[in-house]
Amino acid sequence: MGRIGVFICWCGENIARAFDMDELTEAVAEIPGVRCAIHYKYMCSEPGQALIREKIRSEKLEAVVVASCSPHMHLKTFRAAAAAAGLNPYLVEMANIREQCSWVHEPYEDETVAKAVSIIRMTVHKVLRNRALEPIRVPLTKRALVVGGGVAGIQASLDLADSGYEVVLVEREPSIGGKMAGLSETFPTLDCSQCILTPRMVEVGQHPNIRLYTYSEVESVEGFVGNFNITIRQKARYVDIEKCTGCLECWNRCPSREAPSEFDYGLTKRKAIYVPFPQAVPARPIIDLNSCAKFLRNECGTCLKVCQANAINFDDQDMLVTEQVGAIVVATGYRMYDIGREQENAKYAGYGEYGYGQYRDVIDSLQFERLLSASGPTGGEVKRPSDGAVPKKVVFIACVGSRDNAKGIPYCSKICCMYTAKHTMLYKHKVHDGQAHVFYMDIRAGGKGYEEFVRRAIEKDGARYHRGRVSKITEENGKLIVRGADTLAGAPVTIEADLVVLAAAMRPATGVLELAQKIKLGYDEFGFLSESHPKLRPVETNTAGVYICGACHAPKDIPEAVAQASAAAGKVQVLFSKGELTREPEVASVNEQTCAACFACVRTCPYLAIDKAEIRDRQGNLRKMTARVNPSLCMGCGTCVAVCPSKSVDLEGFSEEQIYEMVNGLI
Amino acid sequence: MTGQLRERCRRLLQDGAVQVVIGYGVSTSDGMPHPIFVRRPDDVDKLIWNEQCMANLTTYLTRDAVKALGKPAIVVKGCDARALVVLEQECQIDRSAMHVIGMACAGVGSPRAPKCASCDVHVPAAADEVIGEAPAQTGPADPPYAELEEFLQKSPAERFAYWREEAARCIRCYACREVCPTCYCPRCIVDKNRPACLDTSATVKANFAWHVTRAFHQAGRCTGCGECTRVCPVGINMRLLNQSLARAADEHFGYRAGTNRETPPIIGAYGLEDKESFIR
Repeated sequence: MGRIGVFICWCGENIARAFDMDELTEAVAEIPGVRCAIHYKYMCSEPGQALIREKIRSEKLEAVVVASCSPHMHLKTFRAAAAAAGLNPYLVEMANIREQCSWVHEPYEDETVAKAVSIIRMTVHKVLRNRALEPIRVPLTKRALVVGGGVAGIQASLDLADSGYEVVLVEREPSIGGKMAGLSETFPTLDCSQCILTPRMVEVGQHPNIRLYTYSEVESVEGFVGNFNITIRQKARYVDIEKCTGCLECWNRCPSREAPSEFDYGLTKRKAIYVPFPQAVPARPIIDLNSCAKFLRNECGTCLKVCQANAINFDDQDMLVTEQVGAIVVATGYRMYDIGREQENAKYAGYGEYGYGQYRDVIDSLQFERLLSASGPTGGEVKRPSDGAVPKKVVFIACVGSRDNAKGIPYCSKICCMYTAKHTMLYKHKVHDGQAHVFYMDIRAGGKGYEEFVRRAIEKDGARYHRGRVSKITEENGKLIVRGADTLAGAPVTIEADLVVLAAAMRPATGVLELAQKIKLGYDEFGFLSESHPKLRPVETNTAGVYICGACHAPKDIPEAVAQASAAAGKVQVLFSKGELTREPEVASVNEQTCAACFACVRTCPYLAIDKAEIRDRQGNLRKMTARVNPSLCMGCGTCVAVCPSKSVDLEGFSEEQIYEMVNGLI
Repeated sequence: MTGQLRERCRRLLQDGAVQVVIGYGVSTSDGMPHPIFVRRPDDVDKLIWNEQCMANLTTYLTRDAVKALGKPAIVVKGCDARALVVLEQECQIDRSAMHVIGMACAGVGSPRAPKCASCDVHVPAAADEVIGEAPAQTGPADPPYAELEEFLQKSPAERFAYWREEAARCIRCYACREVCPTCYCPRCIVDKNRPACLDTSATVKANFAWHVTRAFHQAGRCTGCGECTRVCPVGINMRLLNQSLARAADEHFGYRAGTNRETPPIIGAYGLEDKESFIR
């Protein structure tokens, strides 16, 4: 092969500022095998691509090297351009002279120029050993798994189900609804959270295209885009929800009222057999083993007696079911930062000085949502937990955990400024002679109608905002003494409060890391899942066929979570719009003659894409064992190549011959 | 013990329990023990056992020509038996399709082989039968990496000079590879030529590449039988290189090759608790 075209991109100023492009191009033209070398301001633009197409035809190019940015950015672009001119796309390679050269070295230095030429020469050598490849075709299962039944998961499920695709929705709690089901009213329009959410929940429960698994968790995920095999663990509920009619006689009659209610964040007690909240979907009860007298002491059994439908089953066991899907949407949501002193991870140092868990009237914002909610433990009247008195002075503390490096959470939880303003407003609407105080660091109210909303809380509903932190909360004579600072006034502030509400940071839901490891998703140091590209691929992940939405990705409010859920659903629809999938053919293959069958590759393959196989002669006698790659599972990571002692595995597109040739190009 | 060994092997061959015994016999050239393959009951008297039975016979188990002889019985010392575990972990042998005769051993060679000083397997583990008793007066074993530790007392410059000297003497006969039980690849990487990964000429540079690559391929796999060093015609002490990697596996992963068939091999097993501190 000796007809290679090298196309050098200026990337505007990004590359051109480091080189004399004419000189660089001349140097590259000298490389043996290079038929033509051309530079252009934006090679990825249409005129740039047209240049590539034109040269492929006019110079009868046999391979193309584009010297520009990272192949992550534009390899697909240039391969498509080459394909349009009739060249096999896998005969196109990129030399990254932007991230790996112009961005990181001194412009015009001799060494900088020499490195760029070397990178290009290396790539020219590589492409000499490239082979024309054809994409791998794999079938596509047009069903989707949605993990998490909060508002994001509900939105994604409904969008997909309404567009005609079957959806498997897995929720680990006994009901869908997530955190939003427990909220009072939502900013900035103050519409009632349940009023807008519960119809959507009912829709999910009744949708013919949605298969709902509540009180279930994803046990394992196998396979790959288009062909995932999901095992779901349906946890024992001790109530057969097929038989149960939802009459809830069991709930009415259960004598136990011991356990703190999960839905009310411990503000009330619930029964041993219970429906998490009246609007739950499915509206079917569940038995909590830890508070049920039948389980604890083999007494009672009232529910068993009163159930006309024989739906109570104390011998219920966890069940594993499998589902085949082609795409996965992860919407596992968030949890609150644990405010107490004790933390599961020492990195997240707690706020012992605020007395949360010690003083009953120091509560977190989700608990306050329940106090405000018409369906809450107080029927929507603001009464404090300790004595049920109506608090006349309430202190709200923002950024509890958030933006505090000392507490291990440098990020902003984004929603607290808004809901704190909402809290002051709703409080004022319910307790007209009450006074709300807010301690804040900054007010972050970017969003449609958001800043106006906060101003309304301050100006119309009289919330008093103090810019500063609270150092300590103590209890004296039934009052909470909040000692803080107002840095704008330059003076310490002490408030005798009846109730303190802490706006704790948002953290990803528990168990999300285990799920991420099962699905092979990336996550950041805080456990938030990683998107594929922060701007251009915000709901895609680096695992093909897996999408993320909602607060599992980063702190988000409801409108954003819903928008992102619809975006994820849209991406799944794009995937499903095809008849079959094509995969990149850059996968590993085994030289079965030289394979020693030690199966180190089988043990190390992160995608379980390598199997033990037998080679038999025509009489059917076993000649030898060998490792064999399943090309529809292989992601081309190359771990097998690295681990093979006899170098019997090779990776198409990054073959040993290519790498060797690249090294040869350098020496 | 030789008599006991012969009787057992006669029985095994007569009963058809095995088709071949891989053991030690007397060489006609130098009178020293050499590997022999006994296929007839009448030939079992050729088998011997004494302190000069150095060879690790497990290396023959993976040879096609030996496999063609049928189900084997194999004579192993405690140190040799560790190779069986590695071969089984790496799917090279079917342990249930062979009979392993373990020989209790107080040490081999005169003078004693260096490996015997730190021996802690005088009685082979996991053999199908053991002949002989555990030696009575074996003193406390040396720490396992004593030879290496002593070598590491030298400065890096001295060590480099030492290996440069050793590499200069290597004639690339590959006896070290041929004798090694865990070097079973049908095509060694050094024989690969598209592309050729390793220079095959016997120059200092190419020999360095060979010995370093060979040692790295033994990481977490070498059981320390020392055969590579024993058979080297120019006397290169490859045990030092092997021990260096064995010690790394031991220190970082608490892993000693061939001691436990239940532990997954370190190359290929991944745990979240794996240390990363040594990655620099």
